[in-house]
Amino acid sequence: MTQTMSIDIKKELRKGKINRGIRSTIRHLILLVLAAVWLVPIVWLVATSFSGYRGINFTTFFPESYTLDNYTNVLFHPDSVAQFPQWFVNTLVVAIFNCIISTCFVLMVAYAFSCCRFKSRRLLQNLSVTVNLFPGVLAMIAVYFVLRYLDLTNSYAGLIMVYAGSSGLGYLICKGFFDTVPASLREAAKLDGASEARIFLQVVIPMSRPILVYTIINSFMMPWTDFVMAKMILNSGVSSDWTVAIGLYNMLSRTLVNNYFALFCAGGVLVSIPISVLFVIMQKFYVEGITSGADKG
Amino acid sequence: MAEMVLQQPLRADGKEPNFLQKFGYGFVHGDIFTKLSFLIWGLGYIGHGQLIKAILVTLVQGLGLYYLGVAGIPNLMKFGTLGTVQMEMVFNPVTFKNEVNDYDNSFAILLLSIIAMVVIVAMLAAAMAVVASNYHLQMIRKAGGKTNSFAQDVRVYLNEKFYITLLTLPVLGVVVFTIVPLFILIAVAFTNYDQQHMPPNSLFTWVGLANFFTLFGGGQSLSLTFGYAFGKVLVWTLVWAFFATFTNFFGGVFLAMFINDKKTKFPKLWRTLFVITIAVPQFVTLLLVRNFFGDNGIFNTMMSQIGVTDLLHNIGLLSPNMDYIPFLTSNGWAQVMIILINIWVGVPYQMLIATGVLMNIPGDMLEAARIDGANPVQMFFRIKLPYLLSVQGPSLVTDFVKNINNFNVIYLLTQDVYVTADQAMASSSAKEVDLLVTWLFRLTQEQYNYKMAAVIGIMVFIICAVFTVVCFRFINKKEATFS
Amino acid sequence: MKKQLSLAMAAAMALSLAACGGSGTSSASSTAEASTDSTATSEASGEAANWGDVTLTMWGAEEDQTMLREMADAFIEENKDKGNITINIGACSEADAKDNVLTDPTAAADVYAFADDQLNELVAAGALQEVTLNADDVKSRNLEGSVEAASLNGKLYAYPMTADNGYFLYYDSSVITPEDAETVDGILAAAAAAGRTFDMTLNDGWYIYSFFAGAGLEATLAEDGVNTVCNWNEEPGADVAQAVMDIASNSAFVSAPDADIVSGIKNGTVCAAVSGTWNATVAQETWGDNYAATKLPTYTMNGEQVQMGSFAGYKLVGVNPHSQNVGVAMMLADYITNEANQQKRFEDRNLGPSNINVNASDAVQSAPAIAALAAQSEFSDLQRVGANYWDPAASLGQILQSGDTQGKTTQQLVDDAVAGITAPVAQ
Repeated sequence: MTQTMSIDIKKELRKGKINRGIRSTIRHLILLVLAAVWLVPIVWLVATSFSGYRGINFTTFFPESYTLDNYTNVLFHPDSVAQFPQWFVNTLVVAIFNCIISTCFVLMVAYAFSCCRFKSRRLLQNLSVTVNLFPGVLAMIAVYFVLRYLDLTNSYAGLIMVYAGSSGLGYLICKGFFDTVPASLREAAKLDGASEARIFLQVVIPMSRPILVYTIINSFMMPWTDFVMAKMILNSGVSSDWTVAIGLYNMLSRTLVNNYFALFCAGGVLVSIPISVLFVIMQKFYVEGITSGADKG
Repeated sequence: MAEMVLQQPLRADGKEPNFLQKFGYGFVHGDIFTKLSFLIWGLGYIGHGQLIKAILVTLVQGLGLYYLGVAGIPNLMKFGTLGTVQMEMVFNPVTFKNEVNDYDNSFAILLLSIIAMVVIVAMLAAAMAVVASNYHLQMIRKAGGKTNSFAQDVRVYLNEKFYITLLTLPVLGVVVFTIVPLFILIAVAFTNYDQQHMPPNSLFTWVGLANFFTLFGGGQSLSLTFGYAFGKVLVWTLVWAFFATFTNFFGGVFLAMFINDKKTKFPKLWRTLFVITIAVPQFVTLLLVRNFFGDNGIFNTMMSQIGVTDLLHNIGLLSPNMDYIPFLTSNGWAQVMIILINIWVGVPYQMLIATGVLMNIPGDMLEAARIDGANPVQMFFRIKLPYLLSVQGPSLVTDFVKNINNFNVIYLLTQDVYVTADQAMASSSAKEVDLLVTWLFRLTQEQYNYKMAAVIGIMVFIICAVFTVVCFRFINKKEATFS
Repeated sequence: MKKQLSLAMAAAMALSLAACGGSGTSSASSTAEASTDSTATSEASGEAANWGDVTLTMWGAEEDQTMLREMADAFIEENKDKGNITINIGACSEADAKDNVLTDPTAAADVYAFADDQLNELVAAGALQEVTLNADDVKSRNLEGSVEAASLNGKLYAYPMTADNGYFLYYDSSVITPEDAETVDGILAAAAAAGRTFDMTLNDGWYIYSFFAGAGLEATLAEDGVNTVCNWNEEPGADVAQAVMDIASNSAFVSAPDADIVSGIKNGTVCAAVSGTWNATVAQETWGDNYAATKLPTYTMNGEQVQMGSFAGYKLVGVNPHSQNVGVAMMLADYITNEANQQKRFEDRNLGPSNINVNASDAVQSAPAIAALAAQSEFSDLQRVGANYWDPAASLGQILQSGDTQGKTTQQLVDDAVAGITAPVAQ
């Protein structure tokens, strides 16, 4: 009696285990398929960047011959079309300055709206949301002419000003984070005689590592991905003045694509490497940053 | 300190007086310095013993007046006509240079006038603030108090008025690079600024509401197709925004739940695999994908090799004289593909967010439900989804608006590839896959039709604004602002 | 003291704005005395002997950068006694010149290359300087068609640079015989027999023109220089549309954009294509001795053979009137398009010259692409269409290519296309 029962139980258990095993396999298979779908373009990007053929390969997924030439060309043999090293430096400079200014602006606006109490606060907040509703591409031409009257077109200073100038509008997520910082902390600091400025710099900011990382990554990535605005402002046509995004975009123009597609891929991979590293390392903070901000909307 | 001095209550109901009342009262009851400070800001401060402040504000006022004098007022005078003198150029063979007459540039007039208006408004407001602040100083002195030294003032700006210190530069940036351009483009919607009227060579001028009539199909020949194209583009814009927002949201949530489930091994690895796709700049992946799905592209080659193309022929999804699948080049196919590719682009990002939000669900809530015997589906619909929606509701609304303005995905996937087969749309340079923003972008870049682009831009704004206000009223009845 | 800080910034900004001046006033306005007669000025070209410090920007195609640098250096060297010249070279393909220039003509390059179809829009926007130095020489040394392409209303606005920007037929003669190449039907039959394809871009106003022009229909600039006149909806427009649809539905025919044609040639699927010199080099490399080029074929319309027409294409060099040194810029444009440099352009980049002497040389005449374009020139027209031509024409091409007429008759299709093309630009 007891023996049969225990056998039954064992059978059941084994069945469950097998079921669980199958389910787990299916689960992981689905994930595997999804991940594959998501990675196909990336794999194609990487594979093509090693392709021996410089144009677009239409017949086979993987290139017929492999070479490192695209990378050596892109890095060490700049020609009039591809000046990757120069672009990289240009973009880096813009990115660093944009990163510093934008991050400061975002933090400042977020703190003012979150922690300071003043009469026009609500009005300003509503205004900022309203302004955000206008399509940015529309204002581009006007932004360009404003820069022209400031004599800042074709300069990185101008580009940085455009990127960073309106960055204050992107304060929402950061404000959401600051809202979660307990008011009691600030109160306590105030009782200790700290000024608002001191509280901002020495109490709130050090607590805001996730949102700091989030803001820094976002503002740092902006110049690497924007080509519309950059193309409009850096309009001298001299290719060594460009940023990475304009340069890579240009490689796919009708007359060039057949000779530069593989180079474009190599450039794309090179840009992605630092960003992915940054991303993977900062992933935790990044998630914390967005979600803590999103919590409050 | 200053706050100790009592000011007479200006309002009978005891509420704090508003800005205008303060100014009015100060101006009427102020001494000569206070009154003069309206004209020359520094005078009041000199009279009230704040010399450094006096110099600073006078300097600012001087700069403002200098701008108005040199550029602002002369251009404002031409604002009514936007200029009358056409550019004329003559080559001088002796100097080897072109000689240009003293012509009007309509765009410059518009731009500098609008800046002048902003400066005038700001200066008026500042002058009123100066009067109010001087009256305050006057009261302090009358009561025998001591006005703040400059150092004390600075300290105030790091404490009670810290927000002014914080907001000044960002607000200035927004004014110069967002507000002023917006005003300009709103103004352009009421002019005839297009390829036939492009400064500096030609002038443009005010035309009232004519462009809006054109958009809604009033009158001239092209406007019929413009109205038609606007309707179609608008519908697709909304359909796109809806699908783009919700597919990404739910896709992200499901993926996050799938990966974070206890039964999934190596969640971190999976997450990283998906996150890698975020790290490649969007324009690189999108341009790549565009070539991937090209008519004669690699994916089409693979599809025909494994027989999918023939299959589609057989079931009638593909017309027989097409030997490729028009993923991004034909109406219908292109829209579906764009939404699918957008899922590819957006889901990893949403997955990250959803992961974070789901982790924040209070554990006891889930535990209680589990004890009550809720199955996973119930748990999802009863607990997780409501929680997600309550947290992310506002950001869904902003995502929707962002998708209405999602320039990159559409432009990079369809530019130079998609040719519309709708002849009425083609006449207005629109395509079936265009969003309002990509359409207006191409109108400015290819047709230089700034006036219509501006009109469309205003329409986009109205749509987004109405949508946002309605949604936030609905989501957030307590707080009627949309912050 | 509210907002003073922000005002300080605003004022600083205001100052710099003010410094940049009000409206676009620039140099002296005593225009009356200056000579306005272009013939008089062309004689005076030697007068400005001292140019001083001159900085010029020149835009040209990406592929031409090295060659342009050499030309620019030679120009500097030749004129070093007249002034201290610096020339910056930027990349901007001839096809995109209009887009880059018109956004802000005052910021565009002093000298730039462009395709001749953009001439009327550039002139209308005041982005092209009338050639006032050496104009007669420019006119006399270049092919008549190229001078015509560079002129508008009798005024010369640009310097002809190449005469090879049109399209023609090239094919793999191991598959297609010269007789086959005379008709579209012949090409398609030969291609089908070999299991290869005949490629052309149909959904592009530039190419679709060829069928309608061949049938004697026109699309050209109206008197006002802005709008387009088009009669594709008259007889036999509807039949042309049907003929194009018939071609497109042939399984050996592929309508593909340039990039696809090139890779098709490379991987051997394409055996004949209608395209321009920019893709011909690839064909030449791939097909080797079998590469052949000729005029466009005839196509079958209502059972009759119709010779395909085409747009004659020229590349021109223009001078920006907003240049600070218009005179020197004109000299530079003149220089880089002179006989020696057209010769160089042909040798370095294989570009077909517009210069009469260079064009007549044996080397040029024996280049297959140039011979083909010369043969086609008899059937080609100057490219003069208004801004509203392109999108409706491309849309018509797209419909004919897909074969899906959306329930319209071919007559309705061409009617709608003409309605779009001829719709007034200015409203």
